[in-house]
Amino acid sequence: MEKEQTWPDWVRERDNPRIAHTKPEALDDITVLDLSYKSFAGCYCSSLLAEFGAEVLRIEPPEGDFIRTCTPYGMLYKGEGLNYLSEGRNKFHISLDLKKPEGREILKGLVGQADVLIETYRPGVMDDWGIGYEQLGEINPRLIFASITGYGQFGSMSRSRMPDYDNITQARSAVQYTTGEVIPEGKSYDECPWAVPTKAGPWIGWVQAGTFMAVGILAALYWRGMTGEGQALDVATAEAYASFDDYATSWYQGCGAICERFGSLTTAAWLYCFAPTKDGAVFLGGIRLEMWKAFADMIGKWDEWGAASWTTNATFTEKEQQLKWSRLIFAETRKYTNKELVNMSVEYAKKGRLAPITPVVAPVCSPEETMKDANWLERGIFTPVKDPVYGELVVAQAQHKMTETPIRTKWVCRPVGYDNEHIFLKYMGFGPSKLNKLKKAGII
Amino acid sequence: MAEETWKNYKEKKHFKSSPLKGIRVLEVCTLVLGPAGPGYLAKMGAEVIKCEIPPKGDVAREMVPFGYFFRGQAPGFIPININKYWLGLDLHRTEGQEVFRELAVRSDIIEDNLRPGVMDSWNVGYRQIKEIKPDIIYISKTGFGPWGQYAEENRPSNDGGAQAFSGYAWMSRFPGQPPLKNRLFVCDSYGALMGEVSVLAALHYRERTGKGQFISLSQNENIMRAMSWVWPYQQITGKVAMPAGNRDVSICPADTFLCADDTFVAIAAPAPEEFRGLCTAMGRPELADAPRFKDHLTRLQEENATEILKIIADWARTKTSEEVEELAEKHGFAASRLYTAKNVVEDKHFRERDFMTEVDDPLLGQYLEYEFPVMMSKTPPKVKWSVRPVGFDNEYMMVHLLGKSEDEIKHLYDCGALGKWADMDGRRPPPGWDGKAGLILARDREGKE
Repeated sequence: MEKEQTWPDWVRERDNPRIAHTKPEALDDITVLDLSYKSFAGCYCSSLLAEFGAEVLRIEPPEGDFIRTCTPYGMLYKGEGLNYLSEGRNKFHISLDLKKPEGREILKGLVGQADVLIETYRPGVMDDWGIGYEQLGEINPRLIFASITGYGQFGSMSRSRMPDYDNITQARSAVQYTTGEVIPEGKSYDECPWAVPTKAGPWIGWVQAGTFMAVGILAALYWRGMTGEGQALDVATAEAYASFDDYATSWYQGCGAICERFGSLTTAAWLYCFAPTKDGAVFLGGIRLEMWKAFADMIGKWDEWGAASWTTNATFTEKEQQLKWSRLIFAETRKYTNKELVNMSVEYAKKGRLAPITPVVAPVCSPEETMKDANWLERGIFTPVKDPVYGELVVAQAQHKMTETPIRTKWVCRPVGYDNEHIFLKYMGFGPSKLNKLKKAGII
Repeated sequence: MAEETWKNYKEKKHFKSSPLKGIRVLEVCTLVLGPAGPGYLAKMGAEVIKCEIPPKGDVAREMVPFGYFFRGQAPGFIPININKYWLGLDLHRTEGQEVFRELAVRSDIIEDNLRPGVMDSWNVGYRQIKEIKPDIIYISKTGFGPWGQYAEENRPSNDGGAQAFSGYAWMSRFPGQPPLKNRLFVCDSYGALMGEVSVLAALHYRERTGKGQFISLSQNENIMRAMSWVWPYQQITGKVAMPAGNRDVSICPADTFLCADDTFVAIAAPAPEEFRGLCTAMGRPELADAPRFKDHLTRLQEENATEILKIIADWARTKTSEEVEELAEKHGFAASRLYTAKNVVEDKHFRERDFMTEVDDPLLGQYLEYEFPVMMSKTPPKVKWSVRPVGFDNEYMMVHLLGKSEDEIKHLYDCGALGKWADMDGRRPPPGWDGKAGLILARDREGKE
């Protein structure tokens, strides 16, 4: 065993994102057709595969995917929406009109050569076009056919006309209902429009669903490797997000309790909250009993609060206890800045009574502070990508690091149909004259 | 919709194979970020052996909403620990480490979420395990990864810390209000899920090449990835990205509205036909053609978005959330009331799809649990059994998997390498347990007698 190196040094030498391009790619034997439309979940799913080297053919209608127009405040950069700009990564972009029979015939040709197809049309649309799972499965029995929609492929709501959007997923999962400020007593919503059920800002409803589907696709690929058989996969975005909820449904089933908003405290965990400070707020974490004790010690309350005698955190999660203890704690945290509290925790890990145990203290950052934090820069999260079309761009990347087959971002995005020539030649043998004809006919 | 494909999905689920059949996972995980990942694999048929330090085990065994235990178990512990085997193994002890190594050579995947270097100090780190099992896939999920300034400071982390550090919480509030922590352990659950993307990609690579590898996932870095536009926006404009409450600044209209019955409804209608549908539903079809609203990019501009959202808000205040849902269905835009836990449990559609699936557990009895939310036509994920006390399957693991004799097992207990639960809520069996239900080996013996 290589003993001479410390563990961090050993890993860093092997998983630093800066050397990712020198390593092999895990999925470079896989071809993926991404037909997703009006859905960031689909785009995100295929990004996760493209990062691993899968050849993803992003298939859009000739006018482009509507999702490209879903951009903050309508802002475009070099003609592109900012969300799409960050998740077009590593994909080949081709155009194909699936509403035309000729377009669908070409798709069938691609399907015969593909491993995975991702689509997000309303259930039934692909079947009506003659390119549903059952039809394409005939052409390619090894095909993994992945559908991401709001309500899924079966069950009574699957016939709903309603489209799938992130905020709807956040609403239908029961997560939004339970997050938000508690309305002050005697006040109305009109007086406190901020004390309402609050969704997450980022498109978590979409990205988690796309990620679930990526996991499903990879599991289905493993099974295909064992048996040679493809299959159909079905993710309903609201189900996927609801499944992140750890405790609300068994709580309800056990005693009828409905999980309600609790501000920045946490119904099922103590110590676990945001706390105000002199210059902002910090997160405090001490779910493990010893960490809660360490926090009490760190702020000089070990004796006064009788921390030595605590035996479990479970009783501290009771509502009245949480309200009482959070008041006591906030009075203390207000005496310090974010930086002071963070340093106290780092120092406590070295010299405290319970060291190396120490509470989690994390500053609540604006994304601007996050993007400038030397730690993340060093870890390769915000390394600008030099894109041939869009220039040097910052997108978050390298979210997991691997010693053998690391992910990488080769390019961030492409305009609609940018890769038509290369891809149609490579897969369909269409040269310039044939492409011209197809273009004139509005098929690509 | 492929009707033949999904016909009788729920009824036939348990007649079909599982996608990860034959894959064995060793888990040394605690709380949510760690256990949730192997939990996803277990629902897809992997054999997951959860190693806990006896007698108290996983800290999530105390994650109780307002102090409430569900049939003696912590609700926050249950959904992420389905279908697992339970081993009470003390890795501080040499004999415990030896047992772990015996299990490791029989495993495909190892997952931990302890602070970097801890597994190493127990002689079961990646470098030590790959000596005896070269193709092992080994993932370590932490706050900051094994290297970098925060890792060097050996900072602990958890979900709320990642919500804070990443800017996620800062972006998820109403303007002018203090940052708001999401009630979900979203950076945990989502970090765990992303971890499995890399684990399964590594499995694919191992099938091709015979090579294993080490993976590290930082829950902080992972949630940043989920924040898409925020980073290029800040780079391009030089401005900080701003929160906007329930309004989606990238989709218009998309917001949450207060209804006549004092409930809330989320609405989204950005695409041309959807927006037209909403305007028609509001009795204002002319708005769909107004120059400031007609085109999505124009409508998204601050002034126009504010105006149209105000129009919708005033209209929604005159309807119940149910009426808005009906109109959405009729006119083809999206709307949903804000579901509660009760709605999720009782939703007819979720039951029809078996997303909320019935468990008939020998220890916890009958209740509804989340299915892994990727329905698979030939290899459906399946919830089979629920959580167990610390060390509940020790005998089964030692005898069936490692072939140990009764004397050897006794020795492992005597030296403290093996252990069982503490006599506390969340650790011990549910009240009224008969001493047998759910025990695998006990049932084996009964069968022989």
